[in-house]
Amino acid sequence: MELSDEALCRRVAERDEAAFDLLVERYRERAWRLAWSVLRHAEDARDVTQEAFVRLYEAAGSFGGRARFSTWFYRVVLNLCLDHRRRNRWWRLWARDEDEAQGGGLLERQPAPSHDPVDQLGREQTMSALWAAVDRLAPRQRATVLLSVQEELSTAEIATVLKCSEATVRVHLHRALKTLRQTVERR
Amino acid sequence: MANHPDSDLVPYVRGELAPADRERVARHLEDCPECREDATAVRALLENLARSVPAPPPIHWGRWRAELRARLDGRRGRHAWWWRPVPLALSASLAGVLLVLAILGGPPRPTGSDPASVEEVLLGRRLELLRQLSLVERLDLLEDLDIIGQLDRLTATSEG
Repeated sequence: MELSDEALCRRVAERDEAAFDLLVERYRERAWRLAWSVLRHAEDARDVTQEAFVRLYEAAGSFGGRARFSTWFYRVVLNLCLDHRRRNRWWRLWARDEDEAQGGGLLERQPAPSHDPVDQLGREQTMSALWAAVDRLAPRQRATVLLSVQEELSTAEIATVLKCSEATVRVHLHRALKTLRQTVERR
Repeated sequence: MANHPDSDLVPYVRGELAPADRERVARHLEDCPECREDATAVRALLENLARSVPAPPPIHWGRWRAELRARLDGRRGRHAWWWRPVPLALSASLAGVLLVLAILGGPPRPTGSDPASVEEVLLGRRLELLRQLSLVERLDLLEDLDIIGQLDRLTATSEG
């Protein structure tokens, strides 16, 4: 029988290396995706995800089991990302996103195919502008959108990750989507 | 219409509201074309965002794992000498030795940084001389006697 994430985390607290390896296997992709989405910088995302798993190894004992492991771990990753952004905010003004500088498009995964190539192009550009607008949102609004849309977390789970009330998450989402709608409507 | 359920629209569209709240929002949408339009726009926006989530760049997981392992080992090593649990007997012995040293510690030594303490120690070394002050005085007297004893030589010299 496959062990749950929560059971594995308890084993990690007892220094079970195999359990740690399993959790790494299960969560590395999600951690990488979230860290990259927040930071938009491959090396920083790499650093943050590794640090998140080190924190998991060191602090597995503090996982109380009241929330799901995934929620707890998202919180670890997101806090590290936000700390990283805070520490490097001045530097980022000078050294912009290496991924963007290298010409990497924001959209590797395309929206639903359209038969009209012109339509498709317009749609891609709109989606690109939309995600660029997501990147410009305030950190908490952005985190709320990413956790909601990308990680498909419920409002209650996002509230746990961000350590705030569900009402606050709803307000963040409402404001973020309002901003994003204005971006689309301006095009 | 007052009290538009703005921040409830996202959870409503995502089907996250409790039944009573869902019904309240649904009733409001029936009567409010503005909010109905908002709800439609929010739904479309969420769907578009979900369909177009940018994929992160590929990563070499082997290298990533090796770096993670090295980082974990490094973190363990950083706590090494003071953090690792010392065997009980060794800890007890070490504590005992430190206690004995604290109790039987020698007299304070000059630190070199405090001139007053250096001076006190030098004076202390002369205390032995002070204890034998009477002998020192007698030595002075003997020196005088020596001069007195040679007075006749001095007289002879002056005469010569």
